[in-house]
Amino acid sequence: MASQSIKVQSICRNIIAVGRNYTEHAKELGNPVPKGNPLVFGKPVSSIITEGEIQIPHGWKELHHEVELGVVVGKPGKFIKKENAMDYVLGYVLVLDMTARGIQEQLKKQGYPWLLAKGFDTSCPISDFIPKSAVSDVNNLNLKLTVNGDVKQNGNTKDMIFKLPDLLSYISSYFKLEYGDLILTGTPSGVSAVKHGDVIEASLDDIVKIKFPFRLKERNMFCKIQYKVASNIKFNKIFVVSLTKININF
Amino acid sequence: MSEQELKIDLKSICKNIIGIGKNYKDPSKEHVPTNEDPFIFAKPISSLITEGTSIKIPKGWGTIIHEVELGVVIGKTTKFVTEENAMDHVLGYVLALDMGKSLEFDKYPILLIKGFDTSCPISDFIAKSKIKDVDNVNLKLSVNGQVRHDGNTKDLIHKIPRLISYLSNFFTMDYGDLILTGTPVGISTVRHGDLIEASLEDLANIKFPVVEIQ
Repeated sequence: MASQSIKVQSICRNIIAVGRNYTEHAKELGNPVPKGNPLVFGKPVSSIITEGEIQIPHGWKELHHEVELGVVVGKPGKFIKKENAMDYVLGYVLVLDMTARGIQEQLKKQGYPWLLAKGFDTSCPISDFIPKSAVSDVNNLNLKLTVNGDVKQNGNTKDMIFKLPDLLSYISSYFKLEYGDLILTGTPSGVSAVKHGDVIEASLDDIVKIKFPFRLKERNMFCKIQYKVASNIKFNKIFVVSLTKININF
Repeated sequence: MSEQELKIDLKSICKNIIGIGKNYKDPSKEHVPTNEDPFIFAKPISSLITEGTSIKIPKGWGTIIHEVELGVVIGKTTKFVTEENAMDHVLGYVLALDMGKSLEFDKYPILLIKGFDTSCPISDFIAKSKIKDVDNVNLKLSVNGQVRHDGNTKDLIHKIPRLISYLSNFFTMDYGDLILTGTPVGISTVRHGDLIEASLEDLANIKFPVVEIQ
């Protein structure tokens, strides 16, 4: 099978991400380092992009980058044992777990889940598929991210708190994994905000590189207006309207 | 091909399940409208089960909680949809149970407590035309024959067009995607050996035994 023909976006039906899996990243956001079990959350597969622009809903202001090693599952697995875990790996992708940090903080305060902040369209840019054989030591991979050429994140998978076998074993004990599923394994320290016009570039060792611009689409994005009276107005051209549904001040 | 002839197997086509929490008024109390956005979360598609499979409580949890919901199945690409057009994007419905560990969202990751395997039991697909008034659908659930939920979609806080429109601002939904629209009051716990039965009007009826993984 020619591995170049694997399109993760087509085969993936589940994305499970791990938070705070690098000590320094947990500390930089003032979060407790997980003890015991990995902190898991989901991103919808609709968030995956392989090219084009990262965009955020109009009205959102702060977007953070998080560069991660993504693991692509190669066969169905439930209650995977750590000793066999790597048998379930098909390969890898380099991923950006884009996060609307301001929204995430507000959601935490409200006691709401993170789905909005972590799962919006284009919040999961990924590289081409990397076959397992192309990676000689998955525990010694450099993850680097630059914004407009400035290095922001520069970490190594050796600093993961929970390694791949731990993650596969834990995750598969609650969620049956299938061929094509994607696990995001956490981000090293150095997360920062990106603004309109910034270009994010990231690399996984010298194996793969990705480049994604972040732009607010000002001109041709139509948003539903909240107010009843406005919904009766017929628009004969498309224009941007402030998304007022989210009552957040930041 | 009419809607009735379409054999929709949601487990095969669904790529996204979005759940809505805190979305029913309590009919026994006065409802104070708020300006809050819908409480939204996701369940992985690995959580879907159909009749014939038991609900499996992860080892050591002891009890889990049940919720009975009207599930809306999306019929086409849905992004930036207005409330006026939202129902055009609906393919049909399912009766769904949104099982969870508990309501302790601050204590555990929501993916874990809402998304564990078998936490999304669903009925067969219900064609859109079978529900004449989606704002007047009775949802009932009983445990071992005792009624726990007996509600109606008239008590939905955020109605279906609003939910579809709101979600479509942030997430592109597509054919087969599922929105669980919330549960009426009556959440309680179930444990190993219990039997859950639920119905949506006389259109769907489901039975799921509950076991705990040993």
